[in-house]
Amino acid sequence: MMGKGKPSQKSASSFSLKGTFIAVMLLGVFILASWFGAYALFIAR
Amino acid sequence: MHFHKYEKIWLIFGSGSLIVFLMVLGFAAFWKGTHPQSHIETIDPQNIEAHEAFQAENLGLHEVEDGKYIVNIVASAFNYDLGKDENGDIVKTIRVPKGSSVLFQITTRDVVHGFQVAGTNVNMMVEPGHISRFETVLKNNGEFTIVCNEYCGIGHHLMFGTVEVY
Repeated sequence: MMGKGKPSQKSASSFSLKGTFIAVMLLGVFILASWFGAYALFIAR
Repeated sequence: MHFHKYEKIWLIFGSGSLIVFLMVLGFAAFWKGTHPQSHIETIDPQNIEAHEAFQAENLGLHEVEDGKYIVNIVASAFNYDLGKDENGDIVKTIRVPKGSSVLFQITTRDVVHGFQVAGTNVNMMVEPGHISRFETVLKNNGEFTIVCNEYCGIGHHLMFGTVEVY
């Protein structure tokens, strides 16, 4: 059964979240770029 | 509760965006008066002529002052009634000078239609019982096609017109 082995008790701060951080920020940049793109269209037309 | 340093950064970023977007929404709605195009005024769709703007002689383009225009339109399956010109011919093209401020007022006598001037910011739903309004400054030269973008029946694709900005 799952979870019967020794439980991993790493504290949250010891995980490396660098990849996650970059992925989240890329998503953020994409969302902002889409928003400003739509706004630029609205202003230009 | 303990947060990872990176987690704090993107939570602040996310919450910050939410606050910024809500402020933009509030600013647009309460300060700039941006609302849905058919929000206040209702009309009897069986008797739209009771409203001055939609009487046959008032349809189409009118200059209210220098550089300021009103266009009254009645949508019905499957036509935009833009009035008649001085020769009594049906108007299909509206011509306005570049930089004009144009208020489009439109209603429908039957089903839901769309009113989009493709390539501009004019894009409204036209619902029976409501008057849809949109005011815009036409700042680019060109010919812009008016299209119905709400499926309204078998002749939906026959509903079109032109706005020419010169």
